[in-house]
Amino acid sequence: MAINLTSKNILVIEDHESMRETLIHILGSLGARFIVTAASGIDAINAMRIDTFDLVLCDYNLLGDKNGQQILDDAKQLKLLPFSAIFIMVTGENRLELVLTAVDNKPDDYLIKPISREQLSSRLERCATRKTYLASVEQEIDKGNLYQAIQHCERLLTLNDKKMRQPLLKLQAELSLKVGDFKKAEEIYQDILIERDLPWARLGLGVVAFLLGSIDQAINIFQGLIEQYPMMLEAYDWLVKVHESLGDNQSALAVLNLAVTLTPMSILRQQKLALLADKTENHDIAKKAYTESIKLGRNSIHRSSSDYSGLANVYLKTNTPDMALKVVLEMSRQYQNNPEASLKASLLQSKIHQTSGNKMLARQAYDKALDLNAQINKQLPRELRLEIAKTFYLNGNSATCDEILNDLVKTNIDDKLFIKDIVALCDSVIGENHAATLIEQLQIELTDINNNGVRLFRAGDLKGALAVFELAIANRPENHGLVLNRLRLIIHDLKSSPDQEKILRAQSYINQALEIGIPHDQTKRLQIELDKLQHKIHH
Amino acid sequence: MPTTPILSIGFPALLASSVHDIKNSLSALRMLLAQLEAICPEPKASEFKQLNFEANRMNNSLMQLLTLYKIDVAQFSPTIDEHKAGDILEDVVAQQSTLLALGNIQLLTQCDDELLCYCDSILIGNALCTLVNNAQRYCLSKVLLSAEQEGDYVVFCIEDDGIGFPENLLSPDDQQIDQIDLSTGNTGLGLFFTNIIAQLHAQGDKRGFITTDNHSQFGGARFKLYLP
Repeated sequence: MAINLTSKNILVIEDHESMRETLIHILGSLGARFIVTAASGIDAINAMRIDTFDLVLCDYNLLGDKNGQQILDDAKQLKLLPFSAIFIMVTGENRLELVLTAVDNKPDDYLIKPISREQLSSRLERCATRKTYLASVEQEIDKGNLYQAIQHCERLLTLNDKKMRQPLLKLQAELSLKVGDFKKAEEIYQDILIERDLPWARLGLGVVAFLLGSIDQAINIFQGLIEQYPMMLEAYDWLVKVHESLGDNQSALAVLNLAVTLTPMSILRQQKLALLADKTENHDIAKKAYTESIKLGRNSIHRSSSDYSGLANVYLKTNTPDMALKVVLEMSRQYQNNPEASLKASLLQSKIHQTSGNKMLARQAYDKALDLNAQINKQLPRELRLEIAKTFYLNGNSATCDEILNDLVKTNIDDKLFIKDIVALCDSVIGENHAATLIEQLQIELTDINNNGVRLFRAGDLKGALAVFELAIANRPENHGLVLNRLRLIIHDLKSSPDQEKILRAQSYINQALEIGIPHDQTKRLQIELDKLQHKIHH
Repeated sequence: MPTTPILSIGFPALLASSVHDIKNSLSALRMLLAQLEAICPEPKASEFKQLNFEANRMNNSLMQLLTLYKIDVAQFSPTIDEHKAGDILEDVVAQQSTLLALGNIQLLTQCDDELLCYCDSILIGNALCTLVNNAQRYCLSKVLLSAEQEGDYVVFCIEDDGIGFPENLLSPDDQQIDQIDLSTGNTGLGLFFTNIIAQLHAQGDKRGFITTDNHSQFGGARFKLYLP
């Protein structure tokens, strides 16, 4: 049975005209009638903004702006691809190592040039079969309903299709990890490993060990994988995370350096390497990695002004302020009308001029930073905000510093690692107990809010209670306690007056709870209650 | 004569980088060939097919050389996962389809749709392609590509109706092959490569291996690849 493309909307992304013609010809012979072509990444993204495609054939090695992987990343990030769309990466490389460096967004399949009609047809058919089989799962993932996606996996597994068993188990394990059900993921990976020593299952087991805090076991697994599969980049990336979690940045740096040697074109790894090298005062590595990140960033959605500001900072640290200034000027040129970059530039200029003894210019730059900060501080990445707070404190402006710190503590209270960073900064720059006092104040505030909400609820004023939590969450969107309490209230209310709209709302709150990392044992219980209510409505 | 020694040539690395260059040139050449073919009026000269066939063979050989080099310097590990044996066969047929039209040669496949195997599908596909390619060359009219379970192994088998393997390429007493005579050119390299990558597939204490004999059901050469 050959696949029929007659009703499909197809996008062909290919910069070589002759290759494009060949692909169109092959697609035409498979019945295709609606084909749009793009010769560059920008054209491709624009085309996807205008039309919704069922099938995308994308060349990996495009001349000019973006490569195929970057197009896929962009399309996913901008939600331009429906879950049912098939995305096929076409590559001239015989080995896919280069192409496979990015792990977040995988295409549905890879094809190696030159492509024949038969090859394309059989691959498309295979992809379509798999997509159709997994449609119910993918649809729920697309909506963020991870628990429902897991239920669909379980349902499909009971059908006992031998060929789909392993892909389903793999997907279920990944989803279980995402919702924080580590035990289930562990069980699946172990079952697979009994049958066969598969690298991805071993990797999964390592991830579970890490997330459950069995650090030594995790390190053993990842190191073993790297030894046996020197090209398995995910093992390097996880080992870096483990070392970092232990505060062992030197070891993290060493492992990451190896991974970067294998994949020098991966901007995310270069950026990470730059930060780690910067933290550990390995200035030469940091300079090189920042410079590479800047170069790779030209064609990437991951391009970031932080690569410039980081590089400038390293030049400052190594007593070459004129080089630092040059980098800052280039950053300003590259990021015109970007307030975040302007703020970074002003902060850096202030430091640079101070170092070279130019007090007036330093003051000017500092004032500009202060002004910009007042406008945009809350929209900035938290690490940068922490850095800004420090700069203000060192310049004698402790009021602004405290204002920022307060908000950072408030919005990140559940993120223990980041709170640790804040405490470390306060201890070393401002003085001990400063952070502890901030945190204590905040805890009291939170307790008050929770008590207030619960009091209203007990008095029968559900609306009032919800309003209290809504308002508090608006200010602290990632606070675990508040998000959970709101969810509990809504589910309680649903029990007395179930309705479909409220159920959908509750589901979206559960999904949000998963996104901000509320532990599985808490969300799972609420999900089970919600499922029961859903069931009741339908019967 | 100067007494300082000349710089070490580092031949393997030199060869590998040259192979890489040649492979890139070859891709450019194939691209140009496709362009030429596209603008050439119908009926197209039959030489195009022959050109494509040879270019494809060269590309396969170069790819195998590069992979062998990487295995030699421990920069390579296979990506092993579960695959449908039928899909692998289908890929081989799809890749060979344009070339098959060359002669009046039939490529038959035989495989249980449910048969699953653990392997690096790209490597195995490439190896089978080369060997099918060779079989096509030496057969009279047909090649059979099949896969089946044999005990703890999935066995890929290529049989033809030609005159069979020469003496120096046959497994001793129908046992697995240890050494391959590389002086036989492309066929030798294809077998050598397949033998090496078969060994990279292991499960427990079992490793993959290959055998060659002349017991094809059609009277010609028979090649078997065993994967645990």
